[in-house]
Amino acid sequence: MSCAQAAVREPAADPVLTLRARPRRIALVGNANVGKSVLFGRLTGQYAVVSNYPGTTVALTTGRVMLGGEVCELVDTPGVTALEGALTEDELVARRILNAGQTDVVIQVADARNLRRALMLTSQLAAIGRPMVLALNMIDEARVHGIVIDAAGLAARLGIPVIETVATEGRGIAELRDAIGRAAVPAFDAPHRSDHARLAHDLAVQYRRYRRRSAARVQERLGRLVREPLTGLPILAIVLYGMYLAVGVFGAQTLVGLIEAGLFKQFINPGAIALVNWAVPWAAARDFLVGEYGLITMGLTYAIAIVLPVVATFFFVFGFLEDSGYIPRLAIFSDRIFRTMGLNGKAVLPMVLGLGCDTMATMTTRILGTPKERLIAVLLLALGIPCSAQLATILGILGGVSFAALLTLFGVVLMQMFLVGFLAARAIPGERSEFIMELPPLRLPQLGNIVRKTLLRVRWYLGEAVPLFLIGTALLFMLSRFGLLTVLTDAMEPVVAGLLGLPRDAAAVFVMGFLRRDYGAAGLFQMSKAGHLDGVQAVVALTVMTLFVPCVANFLMMIKEQGLKAALGILGAVTVIALGTGIALNAVLRGLHVAF
Amino acid sequence: MSPSDKTRRLSNMAAGSSGTVVRVMRDNSDRADRLMALGVTPGASVTVLQRFPGVVFLCDHTELAVEPAVAKAIVVEVE
Repeated sequence: MSCAQAAVREPAADPVLTLRARPRRIALVGNANVGKSVLFGRLTGQYAVVSNYPGTTVALTTGRVMLGGEVCELVDTPGVTALEGALTEDELVARRILNAGQTDVVIQVADARNLRRALMLTSQLAAIGRPMVLALNMIDEARVHGIVIDAAGLAARLGIPVIETVATEGRGIAELRDAIGRAAVPAFDAPHRSDHARLAHDLAVQYRRYRRRSAARVQERLGRLVREPLTGLPILAIVLYGMYLAVGVFGAQTLVGLIEAGLFKQFINPGAIALVNWAVPWAAARDFLVGEYGLITMGLTYAIAIVLPVVATFFFVFGFLEDSGYIPRLAIFSDRIFRTMGLNGKAVLPMVLGLGCDTMATMTTRILGTPKERLIAVLLLALGIPCSAQLATILGILGGVSFAALLTLFGVVLMQMFLVGFLAARAIPGERSEFIMELPPLRLPQLGNIVRKTLLRVRWYLGEAVPLFLIGTALLFMLSRFGLLTVLTDAMEPVVAGLLGLPRDAAAVFVMGFLRRDYGAAGLFQMSKAGHLDGVQAVVALTVMTLFVPCVANFLMMIKEQGLKAALGILGAVTVIALGTGIALNAVLRGLHVAF
Repeated sequence: MSPSDKTRRLSNMAAGSSGTVVRVMRDNSDRADRLMALGVTPGASVTVLQRFPGVVFLCDHTELAVEPAVAKAIVVEVE
């Protein structure tokens, strides 16, 4: 039936390579967070983003895999908990792939520690009737928990190959490749819907044994420390402070100092200016490249010297937290607060992911249960969650002002998010879903995976953000060239200078902020370094910028996820709230004679 | 001891106590399906780990966090 088998059957025809009109398609299916993406990487040699929490794979990833001289297509699907009954969007996607006749072989990936749950899915897959293989992944962790599974017995009973694997270490992968050739339609009778659970339970009881557990104690103790409020909240404070030290101090100050003040100011920009002055005869073109709004002196400097170092450190620290399994545990603490905002604790995942990139996080809102929750989450992401690039510039500027300034900014932003969430929960029709969430095991992250993930994300940042920085710079150059920037600055002066109490020039920064918040924030960073902003002005300007819609890419993603009407509504609401908050904050701070 | 003495709602179980799931109340249509998919079905063994600020319990080897209303719908025969 499958590729390898076909290749074995007709060895004489073409022993080296078999090609078909449509390559055979193999789908990886399984519960969330069982290691499908790691296995995908092992089988294809391609890297798919891997994390220790459910919902990392939101879109289908496709790769090629060579099996017995035949090129097959391997599809990595989002994690599912069921394929029958009330299904989430991800589950519908997975089921469509299995049903449409596009899939020739299914590899079900199971977390060996949760055999019963996995078998429930096996039972449902059997009903779909595709040839399949069962991979019992994380067999090492199962052993640590004292679980022994009779794989041979299970294979005989199910009538399909059952292979034990440890995908992260590459163990069992060769066996799995071989087994794909022996994939078979499960031989047991597919029971009626309600019987999946009973069948899974009976099978698990029959083929799983428990031994004395060996070394899971440390994991358990750590889990308790992180989970219980008395120890968990101080740990959260330490984690946040550690992130501040890594990203805000090391990234935003040390690294940016080295790259911006050292590399760019001393070598790259003077070098570029000299080169352009020598090689380009037209003044306008020289300005375009190295002038006040020059592609190199402004666009590249902002993107590479100011934002990149912080984004890279953030991605690294964030990758560590992701893989440790810590982030989902924050849902326990935040569930009550999120419930008053029409969400539940699960919303902590897109919110924290938003600190990495709001655009990606907007896509991750799909893991939330109802349309209402997804809409509120998208709104809150657009409103209050600063992405890594922006966090960078915030920490860079306010780190130099005072800690109180930083607290004011985050306090105001959090308060606004809560207020808007509270109101949205009451204004938007629909229900929230109940909080039921699986906590992934705590693990010591692997440096290799963190580094790969960081590099992948940095590359993505370079591809996504740098062009926008350059387009934005070109736009500013044009505006300034044709005198429109002055017109715009004049038009915005009553708000910018009058109500917000900022220098006139800040108008240009807000124009940049419309393209990308971090780009605008980078502009503020330059203004603040040049001494054009006092403490209050810095806080007010950054608060407004933080509350803006993150960037054009995020706006496009909002349209994709929620439709044009909702996206425009969010854009309008967010802009009004951002300016309103800034005006109020300025009035209050000035009225109280606060100086940071 | 009559059976009723041994059955409790998960929300009423003390941290550290264990038992076997007897049934999941179906007063919310979606809830039972979601819990079942996560392995919370009759016969599953559960251990309550924590009750505040949210209920956290172990079902087989899956650690699950739920809000109080959900914990209330899970009927457990206590050991």
